[in-house]
Amino acid sequence: MENYIVEMLNITKEFPGIIANDDITLKLKKGEIHALLGENGAGKSTLMSVLFGLYQAEKGIIKMNGKEVKINNPNDANALGIGMVHQHFKLVEVFTVLENIILGVEPNKMGFLQESEAKEKVLYLSEKYGLKVNPDALIEDISVGMQQRVEILKMLYRDNEILIFDEPTAVLTPQEIKELLKIMKDLANEGKSILFITHKLNEIMEVSDRCTVLRKGKYMGTVDVKDTTKEELSRMMVGRDITFTVEKEEAKPKDVVLSIKNMTVASKIHKNNAIRDVSFDVRAGEIVCLAGIDGNGQTEFVHALTGLEKLVSGSIKLCGKDISRSSIRQRSMGGMSHIPEDRHKHGLVLDYTLEENLVLQRYWQKQFQNNGFIKFGEVRKYAEDLIERFDIRSGQGPETITRSMSGGNQQKAIIAREIDKEHELLVAVQPTRGLDVGAIEYIHKQLVDRRDAGKAVLLISLELDEVMNVSDRILVIYEGEIVGELNPKETNVQELGLYMSGAKRNTSKEIKNEG
Amino acid sequence: MKDKKGAPRKTKFDIKKITQLQGYSSFTSALMAIVLGLIFGFMVMLFANPGSALAGFRFVVLGGLGRIGDVFYFATPILMTGLAVGFAFKMGLFNIGASGQYTMGLYFALYVAFMWQLPNGIHWMVAILAGMVGGMIWGFIPGFFKAFLNVNEVITSIMFNYIGMYLVDMWIQSNATIYVSSTTRTRYVPMSAQIPSLGISGSNVNFGIVIGILIAIILYIVLQKTTFGYELKATGFNKHASEYAGMKGKKNIVLAMAISGGLAGLGGAFLILAPSGIVGSSMTYEPINIIAANGFNGIAVSLLGHSHPLGIIFSAVFISHIQRGGTLTSLVGYKPEIIDVVIAVIIYFSAFAMIMKSSAGKFIKSKFGKKENKENKVAKEAE
Amino acid sequence: MDIVYYLVQNMLPVAIPLLLVALGGMFSERSGVINIGLEGIMLFGAYFGALFVYNVQGTSMGPQTILLLGMLIAGIAGFLYSLLLSFAAVSMKANQVISGTALNMMIPAAVLLFSKMFFNSDGITTNKNFYIREIPILGDIPVIGQLFFQRTYLTVIIGFVFLAIATIVLYKTRFGLRLRACGEHPHAADSVGINVYKMRYAGVSISGVLAGIGGYFYSVGVMDGNVNGHTGVAGFGFLALAVMIFGQWKPIRIMFAALFFAFLRTLAYSVSLIPFLFNLGINQTYYKMLPYLATMLVLALTSKKSRAPKAEGIPYDKSQR
Repeated sequence: MENYIVEMLNITKEFPGIIANDDITLKLKKGEIHALLGENGAGKSTLMSVLFGLYQAEKGIIKMNGKEVKINNPNDANALGIGMVHQHFKLVEVFTVLENIILGVEPNKMGFLQESEAKEKVLYLSEKYGLKVNPDALIEDISVGMQQRVEILKMLYRDNEILIFDEPTAVLTPQEIKELLKIMKDLANEGKSILFITHKLNEIMEVSDRCTVLRKGKYMGTVDVKDTTKEELSRMMVGRDITFTVEKEEAKPKDVVLSIKNMTVASKIHKNNAIRDVSFDVRAGEIVCLAGIDGNGQTEFVHALTGLEKLVSGSIKLCGKDISRSSIRQRSMGGMSHIPEDRHKHGLVLDYTLEENLVLQRYWQKQFQNNGFIKFGEVRKYAEDLIERFDIRSGQGPETITRSMSGGNQQKAIIAREIDKEHELLVAVQPTRGLDVGAIEYIHKQLVDRRDAGKAVLLISLELDEVMNVSDRILVIYEGEIVGELNPKETNVQELGLYMSGAKRNTSKEIKNEG
Repeated sequence: MKDKKGAPRKTKFDIKKITQLQGYSSFTSALMAIVLGLIFGFMVMLFANPGSALAGFRFVVLGGLGRIGDVFYFATPILMTGLAVGFAFKMGLFNIGASGQYTMGLYFALYVAFMWQLPNGIHWMVAILAGMVGGMIWGFIPGFFKAFLNVNEVITSIMFNYIGMYLVDMWIQSNATIYVSSTTRTRYVPMSAQIPSLGISGSNVNFGIVIGILIAIILYIVLQKTTFGYELKATGFNKHASEYAGMKGKKNIVLAMAISGGLAGLGGAFLILAPSGIVGSSMTYEPINIIAANGFNGIAVSLLGHSHPLGIIFSAVFISHIQRGGTLTSLVGYKPEIIDVVIAVIIYFSAFAMIMKSSAGKFIKSKFGKKENKENKVAKEAE
Repeated sequence: MDIVYYLVQNMLPVAIPLLLVALGGMFSERSGVINIGLEGIMLFGAYFGALFVYNVQGTSMGPQTILLLGMLIAGIAGFLYSLLLSFAAVSMKANQVISGTALNMMIPAAVLLFSKMFFNSDGITTNKNFYIREIPILGDIPVIGQLFFQRTYLTVIIGFVFLAIATIVLYKTRFGLRLRACGEHPHAADSVGINVYKMRYAGVSISGVLAGIGGYFYSVGVMDGNVNGHTGVAGFGFLALAVMIFGQWKPIRIMFAALFFAFLRTLAYSVSLIPFLFNLGINQTYYKMLPYLATMLVLALTSKKSRAPKAEGIPYDKSQR
């Protein structure tokens, strides 16, 4: 029998309405990197939360070094040497790096903080693993990659032996990913055991020793990575072959629909402008992708484009009309449709019914109101039509409270609403975030359909695969500037990554000439 | 009450369906808060004077029935402040300033009643409208601060309660036409400015309650059927999404606060323009630098009615009912303030009655309803 | 110069309740709970403090001992009453503003009820004099002695001691670090094993203690020993919230904000003693409104860049992450 440092045996965890983990077994060897693969919603995070003591499983046991243990809260997990880098970092932004690292295990005398010894230990660990963090910096001032290293230091500071990484690469550039994977290998070589949650097959192939696959809360098996292929893993994950490429014909760009000239937008966080002197066009019949790492001005760009924020200078033209000073609604009426980044916060009123949400952009039009009174009959008819055509599934049809719907169907509702409204330009911001493969394929197909119907599509995405597969033209945004225009057929992920991290740029002249 | 009446839409009488209605659950949680509040009141009575506790409690619960006219009269101002708080709440604003708006409305109504000479039959209407305008101004300002200067409406409207109260008391005291310094109260409002009585003898109940109920119904229609109501509720549920959908959030905030203030101002007007039981006289006001309690009672009314205009009608009458009962407890030696304590307790429990009820429900279900629970789960998964 | 002495000597007893209650609000909000019930808690503490003084004022106990014991009682009373808010807002995840409002409404009525039942009046008036004409030695220091250590109350010194303690606790202790984490990012705190509910109970409880004491000091230093259900604490609990916001949730800044508001109020009530203001002939009511108007102005000017604890007002729910 082999020696396992952690064994999670027959774990079952239920939430009201769903079984998130159904009889799952996972065994971690000492010193290995063990990948946990599955789609969004497959139950990976739940399983890890059970191991970390955030949830308690209804059934199943956890053993460490062969002995059964009870993990009721993160303190128990910590005492057993289990640490976790969460997908959404658990860092207090107004605290320093050091304060975040010691939070919960503060060195103290009679309750008074003793920071100096902690600082020494942090500096030592940072040196040892090449993490290069400054303990006195405020979290809000450092980059996302650096924040992640603070999370890693949090685990090392607590002398954790079992390190859980929950989707750690989602927020990083290709170069940062490379560095992280190297750090992970170093940690494993030092004898740390690593659980690596991901849905990215390349990364699994690169660093992991073994891989456990989950699908819809069920255990699909564990394989040695060196004996398997990407294709086999993806079949285990999704249950069928998936196409990694989006099928589409060559784009046939026509007239300019959106024309942005010298756009500059102020930042709410710092004194510099978030968007500086950005100019480009989007034509009918093409998908232009604005690619970049999160936080390089995309949010501000979208806000300025859709009218949520004012421009400092520059102009936006939609179908030849200057809309730089127009209101949100005027832009919407002028032909701009918008799939917002955060569907819960910006796209839907979750406490409204599905039908009420489907007319959120149109309730004021003659079709749906008469002298200020809403025509509920018309709304119902319209909603039923959209539900049918876009295959939006919900418990009680048009009357379903939107909050109770699945993420994929919520996104479908937004897409139905935005696509069915008259539009010339579709702005889609991270439209596939947090969705499973089926929903992602559906959404990509819709985007291509729009393009083929002669609409202009502007996609803002952080997912490299999406950028490469869906777009006809890539614009890379870095620190609020367009630093490169690339043709997806002639470039590769590595080159794209160099642009995204600011290491490489076209001369600004070239871009201007093309525009 | 009304929720059960709403059920006949369904062809078959089905208890399960009723219990699933949102209105039903609001109703039961309100009921629970009321019961807890009354129990607390009873305990205070027991503590103060065990001998008369039962008699006193009977007055609280049933005493109002003998004075229906007064119950409706005193329900009128708190109906309006309740509607004010509830309306703002629909938009996600907590208008704790109903008190100041109410006082301001009261003053504006008084001013028109005394200082303007208008024909019979029109005078009281104009005075009422003036009250509404006064309240609107006092609601508009916190709304403006919220929308354009990003100042939390709670703090602003509290400050405006004080500012309004000081201003009104000063204005009244310095106006000899309105104020009688020997009695430290305002004069009786001229006949032409008094709201016509409903003619129930020995009570002040007047046409104001009818207007109040009409306004509640209009508000219900506005909220449920119009694009304005749709925007308002959308903003209340999720202000970001409503902004993305091109709704004018700032304009709506100011508008909602002004309307809310107007409703509270009407409450003040209805109170002061009411004819009293004594022929020729009216209600009067004593400026003694105290924040008007009816504004805060509006919070209780609104919470009990779950911010639903029609629910608020019932809760206003209910609160007024126990207040009337409360004054009767003095017959057996209690102080009427006991009702204010009961009302505060009711608010306290209303704040989490829904949650309390659902956890109690879960507990009962887990004990007795395991099977049903499982069926539900299977059904949900099948979706 | 006499007017300056007079104003400062009268301002400090007014500033201290504001300071303490605002510090209380700070602890509560730093833990993530908006405590709008400070007004009610103040009155509750003041009432129990006064009740104690009322019962011992005939004994031979020295006035400053009574003051300190009364403070203790008021603090405990405030703590107990604030548990109602903790329970509703933390355990039951109720709307924090509504629960706080209920707390505010309950107390004036309860005070009236109780006082009418047992004292046949609107409140309690004690006749113990806590006034200190001059503190030995310190009072002899030129200028400073006259400003801070003459014609004052013990409450002033206690207030500044509390300020020092609050500052140290918030910034230098493990407890302070954890408390602040809960108000900024409760999920982060939870993930490192900090019990968010417990910390929030602690934050609200500290605010209860400080508000109870603040209310008591208000009755001692501002109302001359009277506590009643009609005037209550005259909106000081709400003003303290404004002071806290003006002070940006930071102890030292809160102190300056409290002094500023107290100065305005003292000025308003001293108009007749200041010939210049008196000769202007402005109705005194306007001066009474001054603190409230100033609050509005200050909030309007500061709120755009104000930085409240990020998670305040949001009930913490373990299962939502």
